[in-house]
Amino acid sequence: MTTKPELRTGSHLLPGLAAVVLFVVMAVAILRASFGDPQGFGPDAPITASIGYAMFNLDMGTIPGEGMLVAFEIIDAVLVAALVAAVLLARREQDGSVVALLADGGREVRDHLTDGERPETDAVDEGGDR
Amino acid sequence: MVPVQWYLLLAAAVFCIGLFGILTRQNALLFLMSVELMLNAANINLVAFSAYWGNVTGQTFSLFTMALAAAEVAVGIGIILVLYRNFNDVDVTLAKEMRW
Repeated sequence: MTTKPELRTGSHLLPGLAAVVLFVVMAVAILRASFGDPQGFGPDAPITASIGYAMFNLDMGTIPGEGMLVAFEIIDAVLVAALVAAVLLARREQDGSVVALLADGGREVRDHLTDGERPETDAVDEGGDR
Repeated sequence: MVPVQWYLLLAAAVFCIGLFGILTRQNALLFLMSVELMLNAANINLVAFSAYWGNVTGQTFSLFTMALAAAEVAVGIGIILVLYRNFNDVDVTLAKEMRW
Protein backbone atom coordinates (compact mmCIF):
# COMPACT_ATOMS: atom_id res chain seq x y z
CA MET A 1 0.00 0.00 0.00
CA THR A 2 1.35 3.37 -0.91
CA THR A 3 1.29 6.27 1.48
CA LYS A 4 1.53 9.96 0.93
CA PRO A 5 3.08 12.65 3.08
CA GLU A 6 0.69 14.43 5.36
CA LEU A 7 1.00 17.84 6.94
CA ARG A 8 1.33 17.41 10.67
CA THR A 9 -0.66 20.16 12.28
CA GLY A 10 -0.40 21.24 15.90
CA SER A 11 1.12 23.76 18.25
CA HIS A 12 4.58 23.34 16.69
CA LEU A 13 3.32 25.53 13.84
CA LEU A 14 2.81 28.50 16.16
CA PRO A 15 6.34 29.99 15.71
CA GLY A 16 5.51 30.09 12.01
CA LEU A 17 3.11 32.90 12.75
CA ALA A 18 6.17 35.14 12.98
CA ALA A 19 6.85 34.41 9.31
CA VAL A 20 3.27 35.23 8.37
CA VAL A 21 3.41 38.51 10.30
CA LEU A 22 6.73 39.35 8.66
CA PHE A 23 5.19 38.77 5.23
CA VAL A 24 2.29 41.08 6.02
CA VAL A 25 4.66 43.81 7.22
CA MET A 26 6.87 43.43 4.14
CA ALA A 27 3.88 43.39 1.80
CA VAL A 28 2.54 46.62 3.27
CA ALA A 29 5.96 48.27 3.06
CA ILE A 30 6.49 47.13 -0.54
CA LEU A 31 3.07 48.19 -1.78
CA ARG A 32 3.38 51.61 -0.17
CA ALA A 33 6.88 52.29 -1.47
CA SER A 34 7.54 54.14 -4.70
CA PHE A 35 10.43 53.34 -6.99
CA GLY A 36 11.24 55.92 -9.72
CA ASP A 37 10.77 55.29 -13.39
CA PRO A 38 12.01 51.93 -14.67
CA GLN A 39 15.02 52.05 -16.99
CA GLY A 40 14.96 48.56 -18.48
CA PHE A 41 17.55 46.94 -20.74
CA GLY A 42 16.15 47.77 -24.13
CA PRO A 43 14.93 45.26 -26.72
CA ASP A 44 18.24 44.10 -28.20
CA ALA A 45 20.55 44.53 -25.24
CA PRO A 46 23.23 41.78 -25.00
CA ILE A 47 22.47 40.90 -21.37
CA THR A 48 24.22 37.54 -21.17
CA ALA A 49 27.37 38.85 -22.81
CA SER A 50 27.41 41.85 -20.50
CA ILE A 51 27.13 39.58 -17.46
CA GLY A 52 30.15 37.66 -18.70
CA TYR A 53 32.12 40.86 -19.24
CA ALA A 54 31.15 42.18 -15.80
CA MET A 55 32.19 38.92 -14.18
CA PHE A 56 35.77 39.27 -15.45
CA ASN A 57 36.17 43.07 -15.25
CA LEU A 58 36.20 43.47 -19.03
CA ASP A 59 35.09 46.87 -20.32
CA MET A 60 33.47 45.46 -23.44
CA GLY A 61 29.82 45.32 -22.46
CA THR A 62 27.29 47.88 -23.61
CA ILE A 63 25.15 47.53 -20.47
CA PRO A 64 26.51 49.22 -17.35
CA GLY A 65 27.70 47.00 -14.52
CA GLU A 66 30.42 46.73 -11.93
CA GLY A 67 33.43 44.46 -12.28
CA MET A 68 33.16 41.32 -10.17
CA LEU A 69 36.51 39.63 -10.63
CA VAL A 70 37.40 39.78 -6.92
CA ALA A 71 34.03 38.31 -5.94
CA PHE A 72 34.55 35.61 -8.59
CA GLU A 73 37.88 34.60 -7.06
CA ILE A 74 36.49 34.64 -3.51
CA ILE A 75 33.58 32.42 -4.52
CA ASP A 76 36.09 30.14 -6.25
CA ALA A 77 37.98 29.72 -2.98
CA VAL A 78 34.77 29.21 -1.01
CA LEU A 79 33.60 26.50 -3.40
CA VAL A 80 36.89 24.64 -3.11
CA ALA A 81 36.76 24.92 0.69
CA ALA A 82 33.18 23.66 0.72
CA LEU A 83 34.10 20.72 -1.50
CA VAL A 84 36.98 19.73 0.78
CA ALA A 85 34.80 20.19 3.87
CA ALA A 86 32.04 18.03 2.41
CA VAL A 87 34.51 15.26 1.58
CA LEU A 88 36.08 15.46 5.05
CA LEU A 89 32.68 15.22 6.71
CA ALA A 90 31.39 12.40 4.58
CA ARG A 91 34.39 10.15 4.05
CA ARG A 92 34.91 6.83 5.75
CA GLU A 93 38.10 5.16 6.89
CA GLN A 94 39.48 2.30 4.81
CA ASP A 95 37.84 -0.28 7.09
CA GLY A 96 34.46 1.30 6.44
CA SER A 97 34.07 3.08 9.77
CA VAL A 98 33.20 6.74 9.85
CA VAL A 99 35.83 9.34 10.60
CA ALA A 100 35.39 9.30 14.35
CA LEU A 101 37.37 12.39 15.23
CA LEU A 102 35.00 14.53 13.23
CA ALA A 103 31.88 12.59 14.03
CA ASP A 104 31.92 11.94 17.76
CA GLY A 105 34.20 14.53 19.30
CA GLY A 106 37.03 11.99 19.71
CA ARG A 107 35.03 9.58 21.86
CA GLU A 108 35.97 6.57 19.75
CA VAL A 109 39.65 7.46 19.98
CA ARG A 110 39.36 7.79 23.75
CA ASP A 111 37.64 4.43 24.05
CA HIS A 112 40.38 2.87 21.94
CA LEU A 113 43.13 4.37 24.08
CA THR A 114 41.48 3.42 27.38
CA ASP A 115 40.29 -0.02 26.21
CA GLY A 116 36.69 1.05 26.46
CA GLU A 117 36.90 2.03 30.12
CA ARG A 118 35.25 5.33 30.79
CA PRO A 119 36.60 7.55 33.52
CA GLU A 120 34.35 7.68 36.56
CA THR A 121 33.62 11.34 36.19
CA ASP A 122 33.44 12.90 32.80
CA ALA A 123 32.55 16.49 33.40
CA VAL A 124 31.73 17.26 29.80
CA ASP A 125 29.47 14.23 29.36
CA GLU A 126 27.68 15.14 32.55
CA GLY A 127 27.13 18.66 31.35
CA GLY A 128 30.00 20.10 33.37
CA ASP A 129 31.87 23.27 32.59
CA ARG A 130 35.32 21.92 31.81
CA MET B 1 7.06 45.54 -18.05
CA VAL B 2 5.77 43.93 -14.84
CA PRO B 3 5.91 46.46 -11.96
CA VAL B 4 8.84 45.73 -9.66
CA GLN B 5 6.52 45.60 -6.65
CA TRP B 6 5.16 42.25 -7.77
CA TYR B 7 8.63 40.76 -7.93
CA LEU B 8 9.29 42.08 -4.45
CA LEU B 9 6.05 40.58 -3.18
CA LEU B 10 6.99 37.24 -4.73
CA ALA B 11 10.42 37.42 -3.12
CA ALA B 12 8.89 38.32 0.25
CA ALA B 13 6.50 35.36 -0.02
CA VAL B 14 9.30 32.94 -0.91
CA PHE B 15 11.46 34.31 1.91
CA CYS B 16 8.65 33.95 4.44
CA ILE B 17 7.88 30.41 3.29
CA GLY B 18 11.54 29.59 3.96
CA LEU B 19 11.37 31.29 7.34
CA PHE B 20 8.19 29.39 8.15
CA GLY B 21 9.96 26.14 7.35
CA ILE B 22 12.91 26.98 9.58
CA LEU B 23 10.68 28.00 12.49
CA THR B 24 8.35 25.02 12.37
CA ARG B 25 10.33 22.05 11.05
CA GLN B 26 12.80 19.76 12.81
CA ASN B 27 14.07 17.79 9.85
CA ALA B 28 17.55 18.98 8.88
CA LEU B 29 16.91 18.39 5.18
CA LEU B 30 13.83 20.58 5.30
CA PHE B 31 15.96 23.17 7.10
CA LEU B 32 18.38 23.13 4.22
CA MET B 33 15.57 23.47 1.69
CA SER B 34 14.12 26.38 3.65
CA VAL B 35 17.45 28.19 3.70
CA GLU B 36 17.64 27.70 -0.06
CA LEU B 37 14.23 29.30 -0.44
CA MET B 38 15.40 32.33 1.54
CA LEU B 39 18.57 32.65 -0.54
CA ASN B 40 16.59 32.44 -3.76
CA ALA B 41 14.19 35.10 -2.53
CA ALA B 42 17.20 37.41 -2.33
CA ASN B 43 18.11 36.36 -5.88
CA ILE B 44 14.66 37.34 -7.14
CA ASN B 45 15.16 40.80 -5.68
CA LEU B 46 18.60 41.16 -7.24
CA VAL B 47 17.40 40.16 -10.70
CA ALA B 48 14.23 42.26 -10.46
CA PHE B 49 16.13 45.43 -9.60
CA SER B 50 18.79 44.60 -12.17
CA ALA B 51 16.12 44.60 -14.88
CA TYR B 52 14.43 47.62 -13.35
CA TRP B 53 17.51 49.83 -13.45
CA GLY B 54 19.02 48.37 -16.61
CA ASN B 55 22.24 47.35 -14.87
CA VAL B 56 23.72 43.84 -14.93
CA THR B 57 25.37 44.05 -11.51
CA GLY B 58 22.38 42.46 -9.77
CA GLN B 59 22.20 39.53 -12.16
CA THR B 60 25.95 38.94 -11.93
CA PHE B 61 25.79 39.02 -8.16
CA SER B 62 22.87 36.58 -8.13
CA LEU B 63 25.10 34.09 -9.95
CA PHE B 64 27.59 34.35 -7.10
CA THR B 65 24.79 33.87 -4.60
CA MET B 66 23.82 30.65 -6.38
CA ALA B 67 27.42 29.44 -6.18
CA LEU B 68 27.45 30.29 -2.48
CA ALA B 69 24.21 28.37 -2.02
CA ALA B 70 25.81 25.35 -3.70
CA ALA B 71 28.75 25.54 -1.31
CA GLU B 72 26.40 25.83 1.63
CA VAL B 73 24.45 22.78 0.51
CA ALA B 74 27.64 20.74 0.14
CA VAL B 75 28.68 21.49 3.72
CA GLY B 76 25.09 21.19 4.98
CA ILE B 77 24.65 17.73 3.49
CA GLY B 78 27.95 16.68 5.08
CA ILE B 79 26.77 17.89 8.47
CA ILE B 80 23.42 16.13 8.06
CA LEU B 81 25.30 12.95 7.17
CA VAL B 82 27.30 13.16 10.40
CA LEU B 83 24.10 13.94 12.31
CA TYR B 84 22.49 10.80 10.91
CA ARG B 85 25.49 8.63 11.69
CA ASN B 86 25.47 9.72 15.32
CA PHE B 87 21.76 9.87 16.06
CA ASN B 88 20.24 7.62 13.37
CA ASP B 89 17.95 10.53 12.64
CA VAL B 90 18.08 13.94 11.00
CA ASP B 91 16.08 15.68 13.70
CA VAL B 92 17.94 18.88 14.55
CA THR B 93 16.54 18.99 18.09
CA LEU B 94 18.43 15.81 19.04
CA ALA B 95 21.82 17.49 18.86
CA LYS B 96 21.76 19.85 21.84
CA GLU B 97 25.48 20.18 22.49
CA MET B 98 28.46 21.22 20.45
CA ARG B 99 29.92 17.73 20.95
CA TRP B 100 28.39 14.38 21.72
